Amino acid sequence: MKTPIHIQIILYLLAIIACGLIVFPIWWIIVASFKTMHQVFQIPPQIIFDPTFDNYRRLFFGGQLINSLFNSLSVSAITVTTSLILSIPAAYSLSTLKNRVGRNVGFWVLSIRMAPAFAVIIPYFIIMYFLRLIDTIWAVAITYLTFAIPFQTWLLKVTLEELPKELEEAALIDGATKTIALFRIILPNAAPMIAATSILTFVLAWNEFLMAFILTSRDARTVPVLITALSGTHRLDWPIMAAISTISMIPAFIFITFVQRYLIKGLTMGAIK
Amino acid sequence: MREEYRLLLPAVVVLAFLVVGPTFYLFYTSFMDWFLRDPYGPRFSGLDNYIKLFQSPDFHVSLTVTLIFSASSVIISILLGLALALLFSTDLRGKTIMRTILVMPIVLPPVVVGFTWKFILSSEVGVIGAYLLRLIGLGDVSLLGDPTLALVSVILADVWGKTPLTFLIFLAGLAAIPPLYYESAMIDGAGRWQVFKSITLPNLTKPLIVALILRTIDAFNSFDVIFVMTKGGPGMATHTLPMLGWKVGFYYFDLGAASAIGVILLLILISISMPLIRIISR
Repeated sequence: MKTPIHIQIILYLLAIIACGLIVFPIWWIIVASFKTMHQVFQIPPQIIFDPTFDNYRRLFFGGQLINSLFNSLSVSAITVTTSLILSIPAAYSLSTLKNRVGRNVGFWVLSIRMAPAFAVIIPYFIIMYFLRLIDTIWAVAITYLTFAIPFQTWLLKVTLEELPKELEEAALIDGATKTIALFRIILPNAAPMIAATSILTFVLAWNEFLMAFILTSRDARTVPVLITALSGTHRLDWPIMAAISTISMIPAFIFITFVQRYLIKGLTMGAIK
Repeated sequence: MREEYRLLLPAVVVLAFLVVGPTFYLFYTSFMDWFLRDPYGPRFSGLDNYIKLFQSPDFHVSLTVTLIFSASSVIISILLGLALALLFSTDLRGKTIMRTILVMPIVLPPVVVGFTWKFILSSEVGVIGAYLLRLIGLGDVSLLGDPTLALVSVILADVWGKTPLTFLIFLAGLAAIPPLYYESAMIDGAGRWQVFKSITLPNLTKPLIVALILRTIDAFNSFDVIFVMTKGGPGMATHTLPMLGWKVGFYYFDLGAASAIGVILLLILISISMPLIRIISR
């Protein structure tokens, strides 16, 4: 069906408007991070102004951001590595187990995604409280495993199923065990997929707020927790907040192009190919 | 066979430990009268926490807010996502770049999404809240200060942040429809609307259900975006169930009642998503 030219133009305009609605808020918050408090309060808002790097200087020299960035990075890294070690063998097993057990375990792993974060966090708070782990990155990382392991296992299972079966079969015919086939054949071939799922899991952990908010108070605060802590203060320092927000968006910006192909699979847990 | 179970076992054991144990513990504490730092420790109190909740006006307000918030956010984001996906299934120039742009909000920290919209809607510094409203003569309207408008604002911010997800789901769903279907419909001389109604829509049932499940779970759990924008206020206008749970559990330290809220949320989500999952995994 050939679309008439005037309809094509209207559709094109709609697409551009949609992009504008997405880009504007992001761009506007980045712009605000280069403004002074005085410039932020100017009405009408200034689009052309004398940019200042003062906010970033204040953040990086003194202030709590460095500590929070370090916490966020450590928590995300610990979460991703730990869940990878458990997920890779499990995902490989689930991708080849086509019997009842495989299906039921797979469904159980998938259904954990339904658990509301708030229902998970109360028992974890009590346990961490008695283990005296409140306000440590360990409490946060352990709690994150509750969503990271199911997420990575299921996502890897779905992606591993796409690898050509011949690869594994050839190895098995040569007398390799499943475990050897996994390490020698599957892992090298699935490296890009594993990298992509790890990045997605990293971003999930980096972005998480509620659990970190309840489990930390000062020392182990992650970046999202710091943002809300500062946004609750009486006189809001908008430019500083904008600068922290901009910094916390960096992982998203770096990874969006790289993992886009896996994004849909990751977010729908492979329900749609 | 046995080797496969061995590969699977570590993850299953760790998950059982991390998820099944704490879930039972949650049910257990929801039947306890238990305040943190209470010298007498937890005492069994039966259904007291649930009865207390069902009788409390705060619970009813939070439940209503959660239902309004979730229903609006889910429905609007699904309609918008579907519209965008249909738009992007036509041949637009520069489609790849525009798709990357549209997907962006879904990987941003929700806290940042909330703060960004707070910044834009603020009646002190916001482009919309302070500038545009004044331009059209609504200078005395405070978007985040008025109960109804605040709820609308947090819904819109959530829709902005989550529509990329439904967009991606429907896009994948549309791409999976075999072109052959369209070709044969065209040969039969079907009109544009007819093709949409009898080929496109029926083939989108599965993506629609996936979108419904994921968005419902999301929306009922909404905490971060709202917390940054309004802290649940003004009054209780944007006070959702997770927020009530947070206040009860970690502000008043009534762990028993907070657990009961957790259980209620869990049961609501299971009863909504289980039947839907059944349908698509058939």
